[in-house]
Amino acid sequence: MPSFVPYLVHTLFPPTVRLPDILLIDFGLICAGIGVIVLLTKTRRWGWLWNDWLTTVDHKKIAILYLIAALVMLMRGGIDALMLRAQLALPTTHFMPASQYDEVFTTHGTIMVFFMGMPFIFALFNAVVPLMIGARDVAFPRLNAMSYWLFAFGAILFNISFVIGGSPNAGWTAYPPYTGLAFNPGPGENYYFLALIIAGMGTTMTGINFLVTTLKMRAPGMSLMKMPMFVWSTMVTSALILFAFPPLTVALAMSLFDRLFGSHFFTLARGGMPMMYVNLFWLFGHPEVYILIIPLFGVFSEVVATFSKKMLFGYPVMVASIVAIMFLAYGTWVHHFFTMGAGPAVNAFFGLSTMLIAIPTGVKIFNWIFTMWGGRIQTTTAMLYQMAFIPVFMVGGATGILLAVVPADYQLHNSYFLVAHFHNVLIGGTLFGLLSGLYYWWPKMFGMKLNETQGKWAFWLFLIGFWVTFLPQYLLGLKGMTRRMYTYPLGFGWHDLNVISTFGAFIMGAAFVVLVYNIVWSLLYGERDLTGDPWDGRTLEWSLPSPVPEYNFPRIPVVHDRDAWWAMKQKGQSLADLRPEDVHDVEMPKNSPIPFLLGASFFVLGFGMTFAWWPIAIIGFVGIILCLLFSGFDYNDHHHLKADAIRQTEATLGRLQG
Amino acid sequence: MSESEQSITVDEAYEQDNDKSIKFLRPRFHAEAFPTVQIFGYVGSLVLTFAAYFLVMNHVLPVLALLIIILTLAALQAALQLGVFMHVQEGRGMAWQIIPLYLVFLIAFGMVGMSIWIMLFKSGVS
Repeated sequence: MPSFVPYLVHTLFPPTVRLPDILLIDFGLICAGIGVIVLLTKTRRWGWLWNDWLTTVDHKKIAILYLIAALVMLMRGGIDALMLRAQLALPTTHFMPASQYDEVFTTHGTIMVFFMGMPFIFALFNAVVPLMIGARDVAFPRLNAMSYWLFAFGAILFNISFVIGGSPNAGWTAYPPYTGLAFNPGPGENYYFLALIIAGMGTTMTGINFLVTTLKMRAPGMSLMKMPMFVWSTMVTSALILFAFPPLTVALAMSLFDRLFGSHFFTLARGGMPMMYVNLFWLFGHPEVYILIIPLFGVFSEVVATFSKKMLFGYPVMVASIVAIMFLAYGTWVHHFFTMGAGPAVNAFFGLSTMLIAIPTGVKIFNWIFTMWGGRIQTTTAMLYQMAFIPVFMVGGATGILLAVVPADYQLHNSYFLVAHFHNVLIGGTLFGLLSGLYYWWPKMFGMKLNETQGKWAFWLFLIGFWVTFLPQYLLGLKGMTRRMYTYPLGFGWHDLNVISTFGAFIMGAAFVVLVYNIVWSLLYGERDLTGDPWDGRTLEWSLPSPVPEYNFPRIPVVHDRDAWWAMKQKGQSLADLRPEDVHDVEMPKNSPIPFLLGASFFVLGFGMTFAWWPIAIIGFVGIILCLLFSGFDYNDHHHLKADAIRQTEATLGRLQG
Repeated sequence: MSESEQSITVDEAYEQDNDKSIKFLRPRFHAEAFPTVQIFGYVGSLVLTFAAYFLVMNHVLPVLALLIIILTLAALQAALQLGVFMHVQEGRGMAWQIIPLYLVFLIAFGMVGMSIWIMLFKSGVS
């Protein structure tokens, strides 16, 4: 046996990844991998996989890829959450060793924020924004695919950590000195930094892409104040991404330098300043929480208008408040570390700016309620999530205001009160919004509706499970239980509330199972959407057949009104009365393997750097350079879809005259 | 919209655009024989970076002067990147790139300025 084998085994499979449950997962993953390979080979689907999905630059397919990734990550993050709650249900439990508990809460947070929330939001962006603005694709289709593959390989790099080498364990914020090499050797934190840098690059590119798309690709006549609210929220989110992610990348890269190259940016020794990491992280982190909620404000604005059969109340004010939130979001980050003690002036300033942000948010809440007021409300699943969101988010916002009071924050900081608060806004706002958007736009993405009865079951389980889980956590916080505790003794009066909270978590787990059942059932037997407009929608995506053909619009529509499709329907117009002579050749982006290969190269680079195996890292780096060079000099990046082919497609869909 | 735009020259495309008031945004898509400007920009950005690095590492200036000089270098660096590599002078139609630029100034200066304000509490300690 060669001498390097024990070294390899020890590095790749240290004792922390040889726990029985992880070995069981290893076995399951290997079986599943073999199963997928066998299935693809037997059904001869490799070509289909490569040509139709891995090399695609079509925004609608990229949306589906994002959605699959997000749902898988929701499952992973959810299982992590259930493990945490199982550990905390009773005092002095030894369900997991302390080290594994640290790893699980770290991966739960990181995955839910970066690898579930963000891709789910990008799935919705990709699925509908080009359709809403009357465009044939995003501004930079290949860059869009690169964003996806950077995200996907970043996510893979992060997720393999728990079976190869060991998970990160310093919390989703990865503060130094927990991440310092002196206190935390091993590859775990390297995985965290590299995966987030890679995925973060993809996110930044998505931000650029959608900012340009919404600014430059709108159909003629769609001025800024005629854009649907979801497009506005996309634009504002993209602007937030553009300026929020650079500080994160810098902070992560500097931490990585501390670990790999012996620099001292955030170390305790040699003049490093750990608090500067905290400042940089939250400089990103606060805009990030608005990146995670503003798109869902957009979703709710669309859903509430469609299912109340009314125009959105106070559209200009909604736009103004969303822009105000964007600016204010950059001025509140210190409220995440009031207890650093930067001084009364700093804390007072940021406490006030935090409270200020409640004003535009409150304006939006009122406008949603006024939109429902006097409307003919249809209680579809999407609308139920919208109606549940309002009270849940109000409670989350109100407890946020409590945390913004600096003296109170010194008490509540890092307690379960805080944990309950941010789950209150992230589940009640982000997750409910994502699911609302999923049910609303599913027919447009897949051509069939999700079953409403099953959807409502999942909704009620989510809603009840949410309150049962997190209301007790507010009380636990007030009783002094701090976050990230791995266990607690009997006699603090915490155990009854913890039992209730764990019970609620398992209700939400059941809700997820129902959701998956709903999706699978609907894919097999769901009601087909033959009209393309199952909800009697208001915006342009509903003017197209479901699923939408590759070129989206055979003829780019001209927009005269805010709810363009609704106005067309009122005037008896349709986009389904195309005359053959109106159809011309369409310039479309060409599929490219470069984004996939670029992502794979980044993965190799990241993996090599994680273990400081430089030859592997250099191979990955060379791959990246080659991909960028090929991409830069590849002028053969588009093709012309012939008018005849489009006429034929439209005729089959029954949308062509004569 | 759907027609191939290959037949239009840059000048014709410029004439078709609706916003001609911003003269300096006139498109310059002509090919350069040799990327002189880009190479100067690249060297220049490296010089600016290493100048800041040298000043910080060697402690040759008092804190306030150091802060002012590296912030100036940063502003120069940003201008250089925007002008040389980010094609801020190119574009057709409405000058959308100007709006994010305002945002950049507002947010970047806000972030840098407020970060200095927040982190100054340490300077009395360390």
